[in-house]
Amino acid sequence: MEQFSKLPKYRRKLSRHERKKALVAYSFIAPNFIGFAVFTLLPVLFSIFLSFVKWKGGSFDNLQWVGLQNYADIFKASKVAEKGLGYLFTKVDLGIALKNTVFYTLVTVPLTLVCAMALALALNHAVKGAVGFRTVFFFPYVASMVAICVCWRFMMMKDGPINQLLMGLGIPYNKSWTADSTMAIWSIILVSVWRNMGYYMVIYLAALQGVPVDLYEAAIVDGANKRQQFFRVTLPQLRPTTFFASTMMIISCFKIYDVVAIMTEGGPGRSTKMLVTYIYDEAFSNFNYGIASAIAMVLLAIVLIFTLIQFSTEDRYANK
Amino acid sequence: MKKALALVLAAMLLLSVAGFAVAEEAQTLTIVAWDAGTTPYLAAQKEAFEASHPGVTIEYVDVASQDYPVKTTTMLSGGDQSDIYIVKELPHLLDWQAAGFAEPLNSYIEASNYDMSGFTGIESNYAVDGEQYALPFRSDFWVLYYNKDLFDAAGVDYPTNDMTWEEYAELAKKMTGDGNYGTHYHTWLSAVVNWDVCDGVNTLIDGDYTDLAYFYQLYQDLEDAGACMSYDELKAAGLHYSAAFANGNIAMMPMGYWYVSTLIGYNKDGTCNFNWGIVSVPHKADVAAGSSFGNLTGAMINAKSEHKDLAWEYISWLASEEGAIATASTGTRPAWVSEAVAEAMASADGFPTDDASKAALIPSYVGIEIPASEHSSEISTILNEEHSLIMTREYTIDEGIEEMNERVAEVLG
Repeated sequence: MEQFSKLPKYRRKLSRHERKKALVAYSFIAPNFIGFAVFTLLPVLFSIFLSFVKWKGGSFDNLQWVGLQNYADIFKASKVAEKGLGYLFTKVDLGIALKNTVFYTLVTVPLTLVCAMALALALNHAVKGAVGFRTVFFFPYVASMVAICVCWRFMMMKDGPINQLLMGLGIPYNKSWTADSTMAIWSIILVSVWRNMGYYMVIYLAALQGVPVDLYEAAIVDGANKRQQFFRVTLPQLRPTTFFASTMMIISCFKIYDVVAIMTEGGPGRSTKMLVTYIYDEAFSNFNYGIASAIAMVLLAIVLIFTLIQFSTEDRYANK
Repeated sequence: MKKALALVLAAMLLLSVAGFAVAEEAQTLTIVAWDAGTTPYLAAQKEAFEASHPGVTIEYVDVASQDYPVKTTTMLSGGDQSDIYIVKELPHLLDWQAAGFAEPLNSYIEASNYDMSGFTGIESNYAVDGEQYALPFRSDFWVLYYNKDLFDAAGVDYPTNDMTWEEYAELAKKMTGDGNYGTHYHTWLSAVVNWDVCDGVNTLIDGDYTDLAYFYQLYQDLEDAGACMSYDELKAAGLHYSAAFANGNIAMMPMGYWYVSTLIGYNKDGTCNFNWGIVSVPHKADVAAGSSFGNLTGAMINAKSEHKDLAWEYISWLASEEGAIATASTGTRPAWVSEAVAEAMASADGFPTDDASKAALIPSYVGIEIPASEHSSEISTILNEEHSLIMTREYTIDEGIEEMNERVAEVLG
């Protein structure tokens, strides 16, 4: 590939035949591209535009250009400048939503990876009934999200099974998890990890199949014990998978909405308010489409950063 | 073969012309409403209007209750041409008016010399800068429901139309025990503290929430005494108030008037089979008995409607005494107040027959739950967030109220 890119660039007119061929090629991608343009590209561009206007819906005549005002509003810029960053993260909706989302992501991603990897390692060997276990652990991923959340909410009730269990273990805790502002976010993390670990387990299982056996043989010949084999052979070999899984998960964690909407509605207070629930509230309870779009842009920026990291490092890891 | 084809084509042409002719005569009015399939008063209104206006057919566009604000605003933004929209909550109309979705009504009102005296002034909530944008046809105020069978079994006197909150709390505690709860508070902010606006001075958008402490304290005392189910439990179980009261183990429950028609329906289909009654909600010692708060439901004409005159005919009928009687016949409280309407309400099949229940139909004052203002929806988001912190006891009452005051002050600038 490289030697071609060094060739001098020049444009020459396409022959009629070539133009025809190009047209045919474009017509093949057209159906997909039109769909993408109408349902993805235009809405995204419109949303970027909306983040600079004040609009409560209805006719476009009501659009009012406000420049960066929406951004200043969501960051409460003047107040934050006066009272410091602490104010942003304790009092301002956006700061609280950001803090919650980042906390949720930082805990959920490693926890899911560790659980998924442990499950994959355990089930990779010919354990009796491994196939059955694999199905069981994968099951939450295909079950309905609403059903899962409703069930967990019940289990985490004040006198629910989980609190009973804790009581039996000598840990007295008699409050609904979702009604406690410190535990509410943990209940969401728990459900997310429980639901997603099966999916990432399958990915790890596939990756484990791809680790060459001769590496282990060489390690054994060199006198490596099980632990050394894991840290020196398995883990490095799984690195591309771990990297892929963590990036995908970070992106999806930043977009968390369903679990929160069903289990806590962002409460109690603002303790589980996330970026997307905040967008929803502004757009569909308060009908401030401009403000909602501005928050969406903040989310877009964050997700974009992780996507770019993923793209730029993909080759390095993929070719290992 | 060709002949046969020609004949078929000719027949089709004739039929389509005939169809057109019929379509021109019959007029259809589309109305966007929530839970249209299961709401008795909508069926009664349709029936009564169609009976008195031959040739007009009412068609409801059904939207699920919890999706109503989002879906209707999306429909209107998308240029939907349905003729009439039911205004579920006051702030929506303000948003819709600002977005140009609502047809101004003053010219219609003047042209038909429309009588609005029966609304006793509440129609002004639907006016912006002197221009009317909707007419009210329902006005639900809150009453206290009670289970007569439980009171009879306990040998305790029924609640009355003139009780203070202290007397009510005492009564609730007295009725608690044997698996029964003295009272029931739904998880809404309105069910717990909206009573503050009954004095006609306070509103929930004025930025001062200090007075709510009284009602939070009252609630927490009752919760601590086990006289009502805890907020925690209700939230986690997602228990709906209608099922809770229908269970038959709750002695009293403050709730909106709309629950009357639900209860009547429950009695008919056997979901519950106890006797019940209503009385005025309790009042603070310095507030007049019979004071309550409530919400308005109205109808507006879509500015994009193609049948505006017919739509006006409908909403003007709907809000008038005639429409009010149709509404009242199902146990729903219309906005139009008159003797005839009160009579129709009390004579709704299944409405309790005792005098106290009848007397409770005429409140002495009805405050608006959350008045419409530019900031209504933002303020209610804040109040609800802080409400959940107080109710789960994450915050003390004072901490919660302090934060309400602080955050709303920021919104009000």
